[in-house]
Amino acid sequence: MTDIHTLSGAYTLNAMDDLDRARFNHHLDECPACAAEVAELTETMAALTEATAEAPPIGLRSAVLASVDDTLQLRPETHRVSRRQPVRWGRWLAGAAAVVVLGGAGAVGYVIADDAGRGASTRADAETHRIAAVLAAPDARTRSTAARGGRVTVVAAESLDEAVAVLTDLPSPGADHAYQLWLIRDRTPRSVGILAAGRTDATRLIGGVRGAALLGVSREPAGGSATPTVPLVTQLALG
Amino acid sequence: MTSEPERTRQQVATPPDVDDLMRRVAGGDRDAFAALYDAIASRVYGLIRRVIRDTGLAEEVAQETLVEIWRTAPRFDPSRGSAAGWIFTIAHRRAVDRVRAEQSAADRERRTATASVPFDDVIEEVTARLEQHAVRRCLRTLTQLQRESILLAYYGGLTYREVADRLGIALPTVKTRMRDGLIRLRDCLGVSWG
Repeated sequence: MTDIHTLSGAYTLNAMDDLDRARFNHHLDECPACAAEVAELTETMAALTEATAEAPPIGLRSAVLASVDDTLQLRPETHRVSRRQPVRWGRWLAGAAAVVVLGGAGAVGYVIADDAGRGASTRADAETHRIAAVLAAPDARTRSTAARGGRVTVVAAESLDEAVAVLTDLPSPGADHAYQLWLIRDRTPRSVGILAAGRTDATRLIGGVRGAALLGVSREPAGGSATPTVPLVTQLALG
Repeated sequence: MTSEPERTRQQVATPPDVDDLMRRVAGGDRDAFAALYDAIASRVYGLIRRVIRDTGLAEEVAQETLVEIWRTAPRFDPSRGSAAGWIFTIAHRRAVDRVRAEQSAADRERRTATASVPFDDVIEEVTARLEQHAVRRCLRTLTQLQRESILLAYYGGLTYREVADRLGIALPTVKTRMRDGLIRLRDCLGVSWG
């Protein structure tokens, strides 16, 4: 029996770190029997919740229902969209270093280069692993837009509260200018990354995306600005 | 009702109305969500509180979880499993994420290195609760190592690597114990899907 197959138990128990989970999600894509097993084990653990049931605090019901009144639901089309995509993210996650490649007509593919330094726990490795986890997350959702001859793509995983932003082939901002990324929530922008001056391509991991409405890209003096220069180069709706 | 008819094991895992309610909730029906809340909130809260232990924090995470269930309901795919399975997976994931986020890496190392801490309590407490319940017989069919691996991970929020450290067993062993134990539980409970 292959080693990874035995992880169905740990997966069901959420007893994995993000990278292990990403790898196992990849495995599930290719192993219907494993997916069926995970589904059954999930039902098994659901059966145990009856034994640990406990009356929630008095105020919880009204708090939840009030909050729901103010909360829009996600649109349902993601499943259909993701099924139509010929490439499952997981398939590309065998290695570690993620490089995002954009094809024509907005198609997105991911090429994972072999990670020579596997096992070295550098910060770059950790980020690479997290990028891989975002790409492999079951709820990963891709949005992409043309931007001044280039393209900006965001893959957001609400469950991980993280996103990967990919900028490709943007026009040169000029040697003394740089592109800067912003998350916009409640009309308030928060800087989430500044490219090196003159850079036109980047792959960036962005944290704290849950609840953010937009990802914006602006052109700023080298080193970035405290608030974005408008008009933005482009923006993408995240909600 | 004087004598509750014996429920099938399948129904323990998936109360019949939860899937119907989910369908309506997915369509934006807020009344259905209130009914869904009444059907599952005690199980969601109880599960989260087993993992998080602190009642205030558990309430906060339960609220986030339940609102998240409303928000993401249109994305629930019934072909992949029951609504209950989906709901409790989200609840458990949220609880575990919170527990892990609140512990720095250093804390976690220390925690796994020290054999004292509350994990024996966790196992004892949960087992005691489960002992009063229908799953008792099934849990007893597990080996001690299977039972401990599953309970430490599920209620202690540990990764399988941490469970291996904690129990002093090899990684491949803990993986297979978790899987074999869950399969044994599944077979004993007669839970099926698909």
